[in-house]
Amino acid sequence: MTADPSKLLHDLRSKCSSLKSAAELYKDCSAPEKKEMLALMKAAAAEITKTLAELEAVN
Amino acid sequence: MEKLNILVVEDDKLAQKVMAAQLAAHNVDLAGDLKTALKKLETGRYDLGFFDLMLGPGDDYSGLKAIPRAVDKGLYAVVVSSSDSDEMIDKAYEAGAGDFYAKGNEERNVADILQKFLQHRKAAGAADIFADAFITQDPETKAAAAEALKYAPTELPIVILGPSGTGKTSLAKILHEHSGRDGAFVAINCSAYSEDLLEAELFGYKKGAFTGASEARKGRLLEAHKGTLFLDEIGAMSLNMQTKLLKALEERSFYPLGSEKPERSEFRIISATLEDPQALIAQGKLRFDLFHRVHGYTITLKPLARRRCDIFPLVLHFTKTGRRLAFTPEAREFMGSYAWPGNIRELKKFTDLVAGGPGGRVSLETAQKHLKGRAAGPAGSPAAGPAGEDLYAYALAHGLEAALDKVSAEIIKRNLDENEGSRTKTLAALKISTRLLYATLKKSGDKI
Repeated sequence: MTADPSKLLHDLRSKCSSLKSAAELYKDCSAPEKKEMLALMKAAAAEITKTLAELEAVN
Repeated sequence: MEKLNILVVEDDKLAQKVMAAQLAAHNVDLAGDLKTALKKLETGRYDLGFFDLMLGPGDDYSGLKAIPRAVDKGLYAVVVSSSDSDEMIDKAYEAGAGDFYAKGNEERNVADILQKFLQHRKAAGAADIFADAFITQDPETKAAAAEALKYAPTELPIVILGPSGTGKTSLAKILHEHSGRDGAFVAINCSAYSEDLLEAELFGYKKGAFTGASEARKGRLLEAHKGTLFLDEIGAMSLNMQTKLLKALEERSFYPLGSEKPERSEFRIISATLEDPQALIAQGKLRFDLFHRVHGYTITLKPLARRRCDIFPLVLHFTKTGRRLAFTPEAREFMGSYAWPGNIRELKKFTDLVAGGPGGRVSLETAQKHLKGRAAGPAGSPAAGPAGEDLYAYALAHGLEAALDKVSAEIIKRNLDENEGSRTKTLAALKISTRLLYATLKKSGDKI
């Protein structure tokens, strides 16, 4: 099934926004929180790369 | 800050983490999909809900479906989503959302949302103002005050216009009490101070800043931190002082006299003037930029002579806890037709005088004795009758020139209405010059 480009774009914007907000918050986190936050940020970045590849495929 | 119970409906783990961190001071419950959200809404008790709309890749904006259920359960629903097209924003509000924010600015937005929510909740719990704080039975005044009250819990600056003694300070205080703000209501009458004294009063001073400053004193701006600063008779402030105040308002900081250390204060401004602000600007007495800084919502309070139905309810209010009074029909009639140039303040003084008198039944003679020299104009005079009384009170409050302008505007408006807006017919019917017609139209703005 072909992915809907508008939903892919929405997903991309959503993940980028979360990453931006997390980056702003990061400096104020405690050491254990930073570790957890970094893991989630890396996962979000990987999802962003995946979504970008899907977007590339539908264009 | 009060601890709230908050539901966050969000599928993205990182976004969940961000929201949980932003809301760390509260009890936060998370739901990653619609089913979980609906289940939590059924069993949990929440004050506030944050809703993402698209819950998972390819999801059909199922977050929208949780909003009506949340609203039914009494939650204040806030959408935080990347789906911020006009169509989605409209759908979210239609579903019952109270606010819509685009994702990505949580650090700034979440704190604002919480503050606004708490302010609105505190304001909603405040007492009905018309019961004992703002006495009026005049439909127009009641509607104007009720409308102003809607802006009480916002940051919007408010300007209260009206002649002296019409209750501007009381209304400002009521607006503060309904604002949900934690700080104090601080009032200052700008006309009561010389420029130097006003500066010291507003900004405060350090010990030894000037002769007589034996102790440091906190200024009104600082006293109003987190509260409301009420500037009465703002038009009486010197232009130099207006410049200083504008700078303090724009920078949200100021220097007390003699101090090199700036002070910060965040307050809401309510200002009042008995003069027309546009006329003050035109006369160069009020800085245009200051007026626009303090002007958000405007409420105009009518003189007592134009809300005569309030005279006896106000008397009853003034005497409620003390000696009750009765008025003879003649005294009532006289008071009902009196111009009340001092407005409610004059009525209060009059009530205190008669309540302190020998008899509890107020006769025409007693009323006339205390209101002598200011009775209504004689029958047949231009200022007689209800309309004439209103005009007379208006002239006393705003000056004769303003009253004459008002008469011209009213006559021209009526004639334009009767002639379906035809200016040519109005020029002929009223035998006036084109110049006068256009000058009146310009002065009246969009009112004609």
